[in-house]
Amino acid sequence: MVNVYFALTEEFNAEGVVALLASGQAVVFYRIALMSKDGDWVVRESEEACQRVRAVLARHGARYRPGAPLDPRWLAGGWSSHFEFFDAQDRRVRCDFVSRPPRVPPHDLDEMFRAARGEARLRVVDPERLILLKQTQRAKDYPVIGEIARLLPADRELRWTTDPDRILELAESHGMGSDRPSVEAARQGRARDDVVVELARELDRLQSEDRRRMRRYEESARPYIAAFRGAVDGAASLDDGHAAAVRLAERLLPEHPAGES
Amino acid sequence: MLSEDDLDLKQMTEEELARAWDLWFDLAQSTNEADPPYSHGVLAGLRESPGSTPRS
Repeated sequence: MVNVYFALTEEFNAEGVVALLASGQAVVFYRIALMSKDGDWVVRESEEACQRVRAVLARHGARYRPGAPLDPRWLAGGWSSHFEFFDAQDRRVRCDFVSRPPRVPPHDLDEMFRAARGEARLRVVDPERLILLKQTQRAKDYPVIGEIARLLPADRELRWTTDPDRILELAESHGMGSDRPSVEAARQGRARDDVVVELARELDRLQSEDRRRMRRYEESARPYIAAFRGAVDGAASLDDGHAAAVRLAERLLPEHPAGES
Repeated sequence: MLSEDDLDLKQMTEEELARAWDLWFDLAQSTNEADPPYSHGVLAGLRESPGSTPRS
C-alpha cells in the first residue's frame, strides 16, 4: 500500500529527476495534513521530461483534462496541464503539472530541483518554495503555510509564518530588518490585535495578487477551453489526445497570456 | 494552527502514514462528483463544468 502520487513521482523520475511533487501531496510528505486528493508536480521544462511524464501517464490509461498541452512551449508561459485516470481500485487520480510554478522566479528553477527533499526518485519541493506555491487565493492554504514554516530555522520561519503567535514569539529575537509590517508591529511592542491586523492585510494582498494572476490565464484560455472537449476528449490514446491538444493550442492558446512575461 | 489529529501524522510510521492516506483517499472519492472542475493550476477559476474523463 502506497500513496499513488508518491508512486507516480518515482515512476516519473525512474530515468533521472524530471518532476518534483508539490502542493497538497508535498504537505502529506512533510506529515502536516492529509489535504488533497489530487497530485501536483513541477516538471522540467524540456521535451524529454514532458515525454517521460506522458509515457508514464499513458501506461496508467490517463486522459487529458481541459488544460494546456504538456509541452514546453506552453509550460514556459506558466500554463498548467491536467490529466486523470482511475487506479486498480477504481479511484480517481488527478495529475496536474506546471514548469513555472507561481511566485518562484525563473532563475530559481534549477536551484529548486537541487534543493528538493526526499530520497532517491521520490523528490519533493523544499519547504520554503512550497510556501511560495501555497500563497494562493484560497484561504485554506494559509494555516498550512504556518505549519510548513515550522519546518524551517527560526529566522526563515519568521519570514513566512502565517501564525500571529509565532510572529509574537520570534519577532524580538529574529525579526531585525524584516520587511513584514506584522513583524515590525510585534518588534515595536504593539498590541496583539495590531499584529493580527497587519498579518491579515498581508495575506489578503497575497490572495488578491494570485486572483489577478489567474484571471489573466482564464481570460486567455477561454476560446481554447471552449473547443477542448470536441477536439481532444474522443482521442483513442493519450498520444492522440496530446497531438490533438497541441493542434488546438497552436490555433487558440497563446504561449504567453497577455500580461505574463 | 491545524488540529492535533493532523499534527499526529508526525508520530506515524511510514506504513501507518500510507495506510491513513489510503483510507482518507478512499473516503475522499465520495465527493468526486461535487468537486469543482478545476481546483489547481492556472484555470482554477473557470466556472464552466468540464467534468471527469468518461470511463473506458
